[in-house]
Amino acid sequence: MAEVTPAMPASRRVLLRLFVIQAAWNYERMQGIGFGYAAEPALRHLAGGPAGEKYRQALARESQFFNAHPYLAGLAVGAAIRAEFDGQPKERIERLREALCGPLGSIGDRLFWASWLPICAALGLMLFVFGARVWAAIAFLVLYNAAHLYCRVWSLRVGWERGMQVAGAMSTPVLRASARLAAPAAGVMVGLALPLAFGWQLVGAASRLALIAGALAVAVAVTLRLLRGRAGGVVVTSLLLVATWVLALLWR
Amino acid sequence: MSWLEVLGVVLAGTLVGLDLASVPQAMFSRPIVAGMLGGLIVGDPLHGLAIGAILELFAMDSLPVGASRNPDWGPGTVAVGALAGEHPVILASGLLGLVLVAVVAAWAGGWGSHLVRRANVAAVAARRAALDAGDLRALRAVQYGGLLRDAVRALAVTALAFALGGLVSSLFARHWPGPQQLAQVAISATSIGVALHAGVRLAGSGRQSLWFVSGLAAGLLVVVTWLR
Repeated sequence: MAEVTPAMPASRRVLLRLFVIQAAWNYERMQGIGFGYAAEPALRHLAGGPAGEKYRQALARESQFFNAHPYLAGLAVGAAIRAEFDGQPKERIERLREALCGPLGSIGDRLFWASWLPICAALGLMLFVFGARVWAAIAFLVLYNAAHLYCRVWSLRVGWERGMQVAGAMSTPVLRASARLAAPAAGVMVGLALPLAFGWQLVGAASRLALIAGALAVAVAVTLRLLRGRAGGVVVTSLLLVATWVLALLWR
Repeated sequence: MSWLEVLGVVLAGTLVGLDLASVPQAMFSRPIVAGMLGGLIVGDPLHGLAIGAILELFAMDSLPVGASRNPDWGPGTVAVGALAGEHPVILASGLLGLVLVAVVAAWAGGWGSHLVRRANVAAVAARRAALDAGDLRALRAVQYGGLLRDAVRALAVTALAFALGGLVSSLFARHWPGPQQLAQVAISATSIGVALHAGVRLAGSGRQSLWFVSGLAAGLLVVVTWLR
């Protein structure tokens, strides 16, 4: 007979608190404070209750350094809570938390920040260009958050279910397939959206003007590429826009 | 703009600023959403959305990967979205002023996040013994303190962008002796250029970049057909 996993105590409160895991983000413990804050409602159910030594030790442990992708942090929070309830030695729990930081950060960054977000943003832009008006922004929010919220719920549940064996959850076929397909999809979508956004901005303008703008856009991209992080897009853009104003003033 | 609308803009900007990292990271802080929210407050979501769409192109270059210091586009976009909605018939030079303010506000927001994170380090240091003893009150104090500091940061950035946006926009609209097309070209070239750079960076090299190039080619085909 298959082993039945007991329900996580106070799972809804833990899930809600996962949304503020980065509220006290800092350069020392990074998400550690938020991790402890999220796990705390479940830890109250440890033997001895909130006044007990187990609770205080677990809370102190779970508030130490931690950093991962916020949407996937639930895997680590769920697994750590499970390990506390299973009475795992503190060294093993600390090692588990440390070991999960890198992979959860890397997978989450690739899946969400470098793929899903650009895909949804590009789609939102394209819908806007094609006249979807406010529905473009709504579609962006709904589509993006469908995956975001699913990931938050899934990660906490799987983290709790797998406990110390949570690492296996990161190699599930769905995650592997998503990681493989997400980057090409992001490339296609962003590539598709850029000329459309360009066309929308210059609709009705003379073709000579569009050619000049296109050539300058390529020049901006090449300049940013050559600078390679020495000056970000924000700095370069500010300088270019101010330079345009100065040019306009000198025009007369 | 009524005081109630100004209050709404500052409140929306603060909430959107919190969304960047603190709570809930649901991408309300992306310009395409924040601009629409700003416009919605003054009764014209479409013009807010239009400037949000332009700023979304800039924001593509600053994805919140890792623990890096990222520009915060939300609060500034809410402010300029409201200003664009308030004065829908805006000259390209005035629009350029709003874009410039939003870009500067995004930088200020990222710099503010860095200060908040440093303040959070100090808060942790001040309560280290209690935190290491598993004291819930200390944990809550650090957690709520971080949230409050981030809210103050977002509020300040929104207020700054709102105040500057009105000034710079009208300055650029009134004192622009050159042709308006110059402003139009500058906005298009910078926004598309920054987004193009982001696309190239996302696509990487080798076979991976072919996906981006094929998307770009398909988009160009559509836009050439459309503009004709």
